[in-house]
Amino acid sequence: MKTRIVVLSVIISFALFSNAYPQDKAIEGEISLTGVWVNVDGKEGGKAKFTEYRDLKEDGGFYGRAKLKLDTEKYFLNFNAGDFAYDTQFYKIDGGIWGNFKFDLFYDEIPHNITFDARTPFLGAGHDTLVGTPNTNVSTWNTFDHSIERHQYGGGLKVDLIKPFFFDTSFQREEREGIKPNGAAETSPGGRAFELPEPVDYITNNLKASVGYAQKPLFLSFNYFYSDFNNSDTSLNLPANFNAPRAFSLPPDNTYHKGAFKGAVDLPYNSKFSTNLGFSKGESETSIVSLIGSHYEGKVETKNYGFALTSNPVRLLDVKVYHEYYRRNNKSDDPLGVADIFLNYKISTFGAELGLRLPQSFYLSGGYKYARTKRNKKGETDPAEVLPFNTDNVYFADLKWGGLDFLEARVGYERFDRDTNYRTLESQGDVSRRFSYAAQNKNTYKALLDIFPLEDLNVGLEYRHRKIDYSDTIFGLRNDKRNEFETNADYVMGKVGKVYGYADFGWIEFDRLQQKTEGLPAPADWGAKMKDRTYGYGIGNEIYVIPKKLILVFQHDYVKSNGSVDLTLADIFFQPAGGAGLAGIGANNSNIDISRWDDYTLYSFKIKTICNFTKSLAASIGYAYERFKYNDAQLDNYQFAPTGGTNAAILTGAYKDQSYRANIIFGGLTYKF
Amino acid sequence: MRKKPFALLPISLVFLFVFIAASSARSDEGYVGSETCKGCHEAAFASYAKSVHAKKAIPGSPVNKEGCESCHGPGAQHAEKGGGRGVAIFAFGRKVDAREKASKCLACHGDMRGMEHWDMSMHKTAGISCDRCHSPHMPKMQKDLLKEREPDLCFGCHKNIRSQFNKQSHHPIQEEFVGRQAVKCSTCHNPMGSANIKAMIRADSVNDLCYNCHAEKRGPYAFEHPPVPENCLSCHEIHGSNHSRLLVRKPPLLCQSCHNVGRHPITPYTNLHSFTGPATSSKNRFFARGCLNCHGNIHGSSLSEAFIR
Repeated sequence: MKTRIVVLSVIISFALFSNAYPQDKAIEGEISLTGVWVNVDGKEGGKAKFTEYRDLKEDGGFYGRAKLKLDTEKYFLNFNAGDFAYDTQFYKIDGGIWGNFKFDLFYDEIPHNITFDARTPFLGAGHDTLVGTPNTNVSTWNTFDHSIERHQYGGGLKVDLIKPFFFDTSFQREEREGIKPNGAAETSPGGRAFELPEPVDYITNNLKASVGYAQKPLFLSFNYFYSDFNNSDTSLNLPANFNAPRAFSLPPDNTYHKGAFKGAVDLPYNSKFSTNLGFSKGESETSIVSLIGSHYEGKVETKNYGFALTSNPVRLLDVKVYHEYYRRNNKSDDPLGVADIFLNYKISTFGAELGLRLPQSFYLSGGYKYARTKRNKKGETDPAEVLPFNTDNVYFADLKWGGLDFLEARVGYERFDRDTNYRTLESQGDVSRRFSYAAQNKNTYKALLDIFPLEDLNVGLEYRHRKIDYSDTIFGLRNDKRNEFETNADYVMGKVGKVYGYADFGWIEFDRLQQKTEGLPAPADWGAKMKDRTYGYGIGNEIYVIPKKLILVFQHDYVKSNGSVDLTLADIFFQPAGGAGLAGIGANNSNIDISRWDDYTLYSFKIKTICNFTKSLAASIGYAYERFKYNDAQLDNYQFAPTGGTNAAILTGAYKDQSYRANIIFGGLTYKF
Repeated sequence: MRKKPFALLPISLVFLFVFIAASSARSDEGYVGSETCKGCHEAAFASYAKSVHAKKAIPGSPVNKEGCESCHGPGAQHAEKGGGRGVAIFAFGRKVDAREKASKCLACHGDMRGMEHWDMSMHKTAGISCDRCHSPHMPKMQKDLLKEREPDLCFGCHKNIRSQFNKQSHHPIQEEFVGRQAVKCSTCHNPMGSANIKAMIRADSVNDLCYNCHAEKRGPYAFEHPPVPENCLSCHEIHGSNHSRLLVRKPPLLCQSCHNVGRHPITPYTNLHSFTGPATSSKNRFFARGCLNCHGNIHGSSLSEAFIR
């Protein structure tokens, strides 16, 4: 509270000082103070979801904001700050001398709340060692919050003094702390599942610098980026009930250097050649006592380059040809040869696009892209696990028409074909196809319409359809289908106000087939079709009850998603003899489908009145209501310690009970000077 | 015969210089000065006078050239004809060709930092002119003279992205009652184009971009999960998802999309395996966070090939 009072006092003093010299309006700004009262009806997860990325105190609070702007013919200085002493507080100063240089300094915070009052039978949540003996008496467990807070500060400098040469640099430091959920198996392999409180205590430093020359026809820049990530905790030490190694590895410290060159030169015939070259080195280090030795040193290098030629030689023709190359080379140290999952890959891309201006205000564009991905794992030994290569061919076309003053229409199509080259007979013969690498045919269609029947009325309509067929896949993800329909409109009603709205509808379907080869008398197939139906709309208006004096604002948003999984199992799964144990629980194909799959309704409305008493003084008062209703087969009727022998679990409650209902009343004063 | 292409070089250079000289030449005819414009366009002039375009300290700014007419062209005929929108003046109207409008801005901003990839950008390809996003006279955001704040500005055209951000799991770009926007569209994308042609991201690969904020995922890890260092988008949506942690699908079905050979990954987990269901075995692989209940270090591990440590 003291911080808030001090900061606000400084701002108010600044405001009074500026008004002492009303003839000099080089300084202007505003200060505001908003009181917010919040009532949240929800459990631990709901209260966290309500404040997922914000800091709203349930008992209410006052939120201050301040803006100052000093702007003269030669120099400028801006100060912008708010939410003093809250977890969302921010401060930024930027300024400079026009045409010479600009600088900025900032500090800000943002939380990410996942679940409040999570539980664990162990002591030490938030630290690097958990101690205790797991038990199922949840009421005796210790509580903590799954919540992370980011604090970022830094600054930057852009120098134009020696134009056309330039120099930019910036530095940012982020301190992240809190707890997030992570999971470990008690024994290896299998055993009880343990959801653990993972300590987050990270510091990341980022430094960027860029020097260059920018004056037509030439642009050149040399760029350097350095980043280091430090984790205070190397590992989370686990209690005695866990099998060795009794440690859970946490993200290792790493450093990253990247150098890049960018260049562009204007050529005759309205053409331009651009290039981008880069190389990077990332290294990590952990001294955790691991399976692969006492000290692991990770090292990854990347190289990339790209060239592009664009040309608009005559008005009716646009041409673009390009080539890109990206290579990742994992050179990590593997003294015992245990960690064979060091991924290397390289991607080469060639593309060409052509745009044609046609009569009757048509514009036709199209192109072709070819990409080849080669990947391998260092020390590949299992021929069945050798990763395949991919060849992608992409064709696309787009037709735009703007023949009418009040209408713009566009249709587009893209065809994506991926071929997969399995490099060993064993990997080719593998019945499963991993969708990241599997052959696929993807068709994407889109149609867009923008209508402007009146000067102040805009209406937009959009439809997209995308279907991916994993053509060679028998077992695995076989198709992915999406349809999206969106519309929006806004209308400015002269001095009366403005209204706006949007509506969306989308449905997604994934279809996959799998075979269970173990635990049954004979291999048997089972399939799952996942469906998501999501629709939403929003409407809002601003009514100028008394123009420039009294404004009424209303906003309502609604999103509803209904997900489901349609499971189809071969009969053998349900047979008492040799089945998968499903007969014992009375399962059959009509009662196993999952009807609640991340189902939710997000509903909110806000009403606000703004009264401008004078040019300097304004007040606002309002009310907002938010409702989030969540149902899910995996999280409903949550149990912290479900039983089941070796298939039991000890959970912390992460993501449970996310539903909430909140009432927010707010009001405040703003003073501009 | 072999020397012929080189013989064309000096000719091309001559043409080039003539072209450059011709395009840089300017006639003073037809200019009336900003004071004349102010006579009728008082509000527009006032906004211009407050903007960076009127800063004499910035070399090459309109105020150091022809003022209003730097962008709108000579106004003598417009004034003589008594004015009117688009009458003998360049008015940046909706029907004016995007390239013509862009050329006015690029005359000064073409060699600005960040514009080096404009010619490759999807926005240029799609015929988006500068005035679709920027308003020198009536900006809602003084920084970069934007017409609207992000993301509303971007959602005007990218309607499908708005619907994705409205989903329950999303990056925090439009949270209410948050002091500042932690993430903006322009944090990840450069609307002026980048070396990444289609998505215009501010990095050479998707993963390089994600690591800017999620540096702990960068590794390199002793045990890598192969799709992870290649492409975060194998498992995560970019803008928004119905599933927590921006997942494209929900575990266990996401994981089973690839892991469908041997042991428990090939087990069908049904509604009856939920907390309230009667199944007694393999429950923990379905409920709560599914596979992640055990395989928590799914982005990489220093200890476990199965990502359970």
